[in-house]
Amino acid sequence: MAIDFSLTDEQKQLQALARRFAREQIAPVAGEYDRKEEVPWPVIEKLFEVGLLNAIIPEEYGGLGLSMLEEVIIGEELAWGCMGIYTIPMASDLGITPVLLAGSHEQKSRFFGQLTEKPALAAFALSEPGNGSDAAALRTRAVRDGDHYILNGTKTWISNGGEAEWVVVFATVNPEARHKGVVALVVEKGTPGFKANKLHGKMGQRASGTYELVFEDVRVPAANLLGAEGDGFKIAMNTLDKTRIPVAAGSVGVARRALDEATKYAREREAFGKPIAEFQAIQFKLAEMLMGIETARAYTYYAAWLTDRGLPQAHAAAIAKAYASEMAFAAANQAIQIHGGYGYMHEYPVEKLLRDVKLNQIYEGTNEIQRLIIARHILKG
Amino acid sequence: MKFIAVIRQVPDNEAKLRIEGGRVNYEGATLILDQMDEWGVEEVIRLKEQYGGEAVIVALGPERFEEAIRTALAMGADRGVHLVTEASLDPITQAQALADTLRDEAPTLVFTGGQQSDWDSQALGPAIAEALGWPVVTWTTSLELEGQGAYAKAKHDLDEGAEVVRVALPAVFTTQQGLNEPRYPTLPGIMKAKKKEIRKVPIAFEGKVETLEQTIQERRRLNKVIDGTKDPVAAADELVRLLHEEAKVI
Repeated sequence: MAIDFSLTDEQKQLQALARRFAREQIAPVAGEYDRKEEVPWPVIEKLFEVGLLNAIIPEEYGGLGLSMLEEVIIGEELAWGCMGIYTIPMASDLGITPVLLAGSHEQKSRFFGQLTEKPALAAFALSEPGNGSDAAALRTRAVRDGDHYILNGTKTWISNGGEAEWVVVFATVNPEARHKGVVALVVEKGTPGFKANKLHGKMGQRASGTYELVFEDVRVPAANLLGAEGDGFKIAMNTLDKTRIPVAAGSVGVARRALDEATKYAREREAFGKPIAEFQAIQFKLAEMLMGIETARAYTYYAAWLTDRGLPQAHAAAIAKAYASEMAFAAANQAIQIHGGYGYMHEYPVEKLLRDVKLNQIYEGTNEIQRLIIARHILKG
Repeated sequence: MKFIAVIRQVPDNEAKLRIEGGRVNYEGATLILDQMDEWGVEEVIRLKEQYGGEAVIVALGPERFEEAIRTALAMGADRGVHLVTEASLDPITQAQALADTLRDEAPTLVFTGGQQSDWDSQALGPAIAEALGWPVVTWTTSLELEGQGAYAKAKHDLDEGAEVVRVALPAVFTTQQGLNEPRYPTLPGIMKAKKKEIRKVPIAFEGKVETLEQTIQERRRLNKVIDGTKDPVAAADELVRLLHEEAKVI
């Protein structure tokens, strides 16, 4: 009897809270923020009020110390309301995770304190204009100068980058050393020489703010270095091994929304004198969607379970992320197909699902990188 | 001061219920804190926040009711008392079963839902008041305390209007839409609720009304389509006539 799929009463309650929050506070405004390409601060404030923001921060630092399983339960629900809006708290957790993994007690107290007193976000800056998947090839330079590092370079595609209280920036003290030269530095908002430029014109997830970050002779206290010099690359990879599980959970949420919308429409829409839900062509699509949702959710829970038990999970996180995001893209695509012409219009919520979930196949490691991780897991033995 | 909300757990509005063996089968249905009771929970928490003291949740029903009590505790109530019975009791018997506990708790006031959304009964609040010999104010839309909790000034709905009353406490109030906007049970609230006390009291009351059979009303659509393409004015007249004479909604 070691295997058990049941949620605790407390987990059921936090699921109910997140579900209600998504239905009442996120879904009704998702379309508006998508159109305006604007960060929904009122929603972030409400997330903070109900305790759903930065909840992975441990209790001793003023957070709730949520487990990965609890994080994915919440993630699926919030993403059902809007994947773009869910990316905001998710990317904040992405910023928190390196500090959680490699920060000292002093660093955790200092940085987490800023995120638990008021609605505030963190961010994670790895990608650069010239490198994404080849993370070790980063060019942002950090040069030690007494008690400081002097930071120069540009990061891009940084979610929350302009809103965040602080950003974990990956830079190199020695580009020739590749991954062995990488440092992880926490850079606080307002540090002289640090600028964030909002990127406009995104296909989807337009409620989340995506930034280019420019560092010009930015003096970062050496006390903000996470771990030791050269630990940065490992910290980044270990972080992503964890945080891509919530990406999988978000994908499940999008797919569930696609199925809900498609089912509702198929019951109402009539063709040839009966609801289209009575045609097998439609039924097969709905069935296919549920097959994907159920398997992706079960596997995402499994990856979370491995994480919570401290077991090797990099391959599982990669499988969950790639599988769930591809499943969700297909589900959103079928939901549009079931809606026909209406599905192609902004007036119905399904075209946004497709635009939003496309990013789940790209960020936090493209699905091609996930396949590399999975292949290495197969071949390492 | 002590403020008590009496609550029940009911199927979600959207839950699809099935009848099996002449009884409603709750299996698979989402069960929630009755919305009208939720207004009562919110009100006792607000009263406690405003006047100090304690907000207590009292529920009478099967084991599963504990989930609804935990929801109320997660919203901010301090503790719960659960009178446990798997028997199906009519509202008058429920009120009698609740009376001893409520009297022992000696609250400033008691709130409960204006209507119980599963049986559509409005009897529980007045029956509790009757069993305790306390006054009752039904369909309350606003309330404030006076004289350090000796009185309450309350506004409540009547059939075609409203009145404001002053009532000597302790008293029983039933809720009405507009009383308040219930807060979310927050995540920290959910985690704290786990550690809050729920006192379990087994009770052995027998109902005086025995349920023999339950059915669920099935609404069939008439599928009447009025052709408006030829004579729209006549079609509109016909629609109004049907709504007035047959559907009796206008």
